[in-house]
Amino acid sequence: METWTPNPRAKPFIPRQQRSLYLAWKYKLTNKRAVRRFCQAGAVLFLLITVIVNIKLILDTRRAANEEEAAQEYEDALPNMETPRRPVGGRKALDIEVYSSRSKVYVAVDGTTVLEDDLREQGRGIHVIVLNQATGHVMAKRIFDTYSPHEDEAMILFLNMVTRGRVLIFTIKDEGTFHLKDSAKNLLKSLGSEVSLSLSWRDMWTLVVKKGGQVYGEKHSKSPALSTWGDPVLLKTEVQLTASEEAECHWADTELNRRRKLFCSKVEGYGSICSCKDPAPIEFTPDTLPNNNVFNVPVAVIAGNRPNYLYRMLRSLLSAHGVNPQMITVFIDGYYEEPMDVVELFGLKGVQHTPISIKNARVSQHYKASLTATFNLHPDVSFAIVLEEDLDISIDFFSFLSQTIHLLDEDDSLYCISAWNDQGYEHTAEDPALLYRVESMPGLGWVLKKSLYKDELEPKWPTPEKLWDWDMWMRMPEQRKGRECIIPDVSRSYHFGIIGLNMNGYFHEVYFKKHKFNTVPNVQLKDVEGLKQDAYEVEIQSLLKEAEVLDHSKNPCEDSFIPDSEGKTFIMYIKMDTETDTDTWTELAKCLHVWDLDVRGNHRGLWRLFRKRNHVLVVAFPISPYSVKKPTSVVPIHLEPPPKDEGAPVEQI
Amino acid sequence: MPRLNRTGILALLVAASSAFLLFQLYYYRQSSNGGNALRQKDVQWEAVRRVMGVARQVALPIFLADPAALSLIGQQGGAEGGGRGCSFLCTGRTTTAFAAIADHWKYDAVAAAASQKGLEVEQVRGRDPRLLEEGAELSAAQIPLHFLFRSTHGHIIQVVLLYQRSGGYLWHGPLRLAPGADRRLAPPTGLPYGRHAGAYHRPELVLTVVDGLDVRVPRNSSHFLSLRSHAHFIECRHKEARAFYQLYPEDGSVEAAEFRRGARSVLLLAGRTLDALNVPFWISSGTCLGWFRQCGFISYSRDVDVGVSIRHYRPDLATAFASAGLPLKHSFGKVEDSLELSFQAPGGGVKLDIFFFYQEESWGGAVVWNGGTQAKSGRKFKYVFPSFDLCWAELAGVRVRVPCATLDYVRANYGQEAWLTPVTSWDWKTSPSNVVDNGVWPRQDWAQVIQLY
Repeated sequence: METWTPNPRAKPFIPRQQRSLYLAWKYKLTNKRAVRRFCQAGAVLFLLITVIVNIKLILDTRRAANEEEAAQEYEDALPNMETPRRPVGGRKALDIEVYSSRSKVYVAVDGTTVLEDDLREQGRGIHVIVLNQATGHVMAKRIFDTYSPHEDEAMILFLNMVTRGRVLIFTIKDEGTFHLKDSAKNLLKSLGSEVSLSLSWRDMWTLVVKKGGQVYGEKHSKSPALSTWGDPVLLKTEVQLTASEEAECHWADTELNRRRKLFCSKVEGYGSICSCKDPAPIEFTPDTLPNNNVFNVPVAVIAGNRPNYLYRMLRSLLSAHGVNPQMITVFIDGYYEEPMDVVELFGLKGVQHTPISIKNARVSQHYKASLTATFNLHPDVSFAIVLEEDLDISIDFFSFLSQTIHLLDEDDSLYCISAWNDQGYEHTAEDPALLYRVESMPGLGWVLKKSLYKDELEPKWPTPEKLWDWDMWMRMPEQRKGRECIIPDVSRSYHFGIIGLNMNGYFHEVYFKKHKFNTVPNVQLKDVEGLKQDAYEVEIQSLLKEAEVLDHSKNPCEDSFIPDSEGKTFIMYIKMDTETDTDTWTELAKCLHVWDLDVRGNHRGLWRLFRKRNHVLVVAFPISPYSVKKPTSVVPIHLEPPPKDEGAPVEQI
Repeated sequence: MPRLNRTGILALLVAASSAFLLFQLYYYRQSSNGGNALRQKDVQWEAVRRVMGVARQVALPIFLADPAALSLIGQQGGAEGGGRGCSFLCTGRTTTAFAAIADHWKYDAVAAAASQKGLEVEQVRGRDPRLLEEGAELSAAQIPLHFLFRSTHGHIIQVVLLYQRSGGYLWHGPLRLAPGADRRLAPPTGLPYGRHAGAYHRPELVLTVVDGLDVRVPRNSSHFLSLRSHAHFIECRHKEARAFYQLYPEDGSVEAAEFRRGARSVLLLAGRTLDALNVPFWISSGTCLGWFRQCGFISYSRDVDVGVSIRHYRPDLATAFASAGLPLKHSFGKVEDSLELSFQAPGGGVKLDIFFFYQEESWGGAVVWNGGTQAKSGRKFKYVFPSFDLCWAELAGVRVRVPCATLDYVRANYGQEAWLTPVTSWDWKTSPSNVVDNGVWPRQDWAQVIQLY
């Protein structure tokens, strides 16, 4: 640093001036008047400060109060927002048009078409529409093909379930009276129809009526001759809307009843769920399982647009012991409202899926999307339970799975556990504690291992353009790779679906109606460890050893083929030269009235089933490795298929 | 006399007014400054206590995730012995954040429980990303992403819900208040979670006593906070991917399926190996393009490409991969220049290419580049990218990093618009739009910079 030089222009230091200031101060202080002045000034200053502090206090309090007020305003604002949502008054009546003819029906409410069906060879029968009497919303739409038998019974059931006061609209397309029996006609008469008793072959007919109330209109045109249809009829009428309070029940205000109320205001045809007096429960409290190994296994319910089925299915599922509703997801193939309403009624999680492709491929794409989503939603699980909407679930379904699920981890030769025994009919299944290993994948309520899906199935799942059934694809040797499924002798699911892609009433009657379904809770399964690959062979060998050979000279289709004993094990050999030589088995299955459309339920050429309370082993000779047990004297049974032109080819499902 | 009187009155006035003033000052101090700070603390503690009560009631297992509180706990080396005071939870902020791993898909009971405890609550909902799957369009009720509790005194407690995703990580959604929502729930300072979606490892939690409350906190709170600062997660653009597949349907052949499966397992293996070595990586080139354009692997791309910053290069990479079952296939370049390592399982299968990225100041800004080497000619190439930050993403059920500005990255590599169109005949030496000729390796270096195994 440079040497410091004092500022030449700085004023010189004068201590004297300082002292004189001090003296002046001292002098002033002694002056009384000055003191008084000072005190006065001080007082004024004090008062001023007081005022400032006061103002600040007031401002602060005001700000705090404003905030509170704002909160108040917000709360007040909410009810105001609600008001416009209420239906606008003024509109009190609905204009309704109903058309009935041979090839077309339609229903329009206030100019909006709510039903239109002019497709050929479809929608035959009586179309029924239910409207909410307060809002005019469509609550249900049904077709009852009363040209065919039993459909009128379904219609009676449905009409009885509809709440009183709803508006019912009926119209016939093509033919709706051939199997419309008197009980149904009488019910229509009691609803207010004047012509129902005289409805006959190929008549056209429309009716608009309030259930338990007035008739808004009815039109009928008789068919002049057997070969011709009645003239088309068009009914135009007006329906007075009622106040919404009259259309609702007064249930206690609980979370459950709010769901119920919402559901019942939208849809019809679910019977006592919407009963005002004594509504059916929508929450079930089934027993829990002591050691539930499947409590945290996700349950995927694969659904389409069959809301009544879904309702029945979910009710049985939620009543099964050990169910965990939090793990259930319903996957709906399409943006259908009613299935979603059903899902929400039960407080479950529903996922809607934009449909891809058509027919079987659509189902198969829906399966893929649902399974992928299931494992995405539950990334830390290693299994998923797959169900379909047309199944009843046995009360011990989860107990059955909880006792067996570890097998999938411990035995690599398994690829599923299914609740369904393809051959388990009323007359062929006996023991709820008995399990089998089978080479065909039955589906219909089954457990899928995540690693199987992620590593094998998902990457090569059939693409949308392939019109394959997903289950057929899964049964193909490329996918199955020699692995097997565990099934119970007595099924833990029941297939009640009659309408479906591969389904019709006849088919259901023959193949599904008589299926055995377990209703016993908490069945303790027999020797679960014995289902593992090696142990099962030991078990089979001991069965073969104890089995009595049946008299092969008798006709296996005759009842006397099996002796009238109980609790015995019998064995029979049937001819099967190659994998594709299924004639004898098919014929046998036909006369036993079990599944005969393809070969199912076998384990290395061995079928196990019950006849007259006896365990019967059917061994395919010579392709089954168990054929070596056949005594040389026994000639394997050979049945010839009937000549081809006799039976119409049956479509495979 | 009158003079004395006046003085007396004045004195009285001064005394009264000073007493009044003192009282007012005292009152004001109580209500605004010191008192406010005190009250604020009480408010915060009380709000936390109540929200914890709500969580207990609805069985929502919340844990402390508040950045300020956790960093206080981290500094003190733990919150044990906090005593009665409020030294950790009372951060003086207007918000406190908790997190919970969501194991339910709806929490309807929260609203009732909160109002019982005198709290306002807003449930911020959003789409469930786990249902966004390529090829399938699924929709369901929105899932709860955040709970915002507001005490009567205005303290806000955020509970961010963490969902388990298939890549083995926890995800939380962005926080977007609905248009009708209470604006006071979004303090101007912002909420600690929800500016972006985030991805986390599942933290190890310990139950401890913090300021007299039983609270679960991440065992390693500073580690949790460091995760938080790099948690930004980007969802793959499923909608665009669906549109892409409409134009160019997915290859349904067995070979393509086999490649996708192989690519996924190689990516999984690469992730596991590099994570174990603490080497951050991102998906690069074709793999990154596949994620960005079609949420999947490009089935004809034949290999999996990942990028690693040369700063994170470790000499033991090759041995680590070899012991994971992916021995070194070839090595091009050297650590100082254009390093590229390729690994492949002995029986063939999908090849893994690791490109090392170098930082460079040029062309008026920071850029990064990686190198390429042609084995037979020794020619060098350079691929230049704008510099980028890393974000989390998910590809084929594997959690990976991607450049946050993925579009810029992909555009640099494949051209402004050209990246949208599939190109099956690809030449890595000429096709990329950011390739630069970078000379030839000197002949004497070839033994080092071109190693084929």
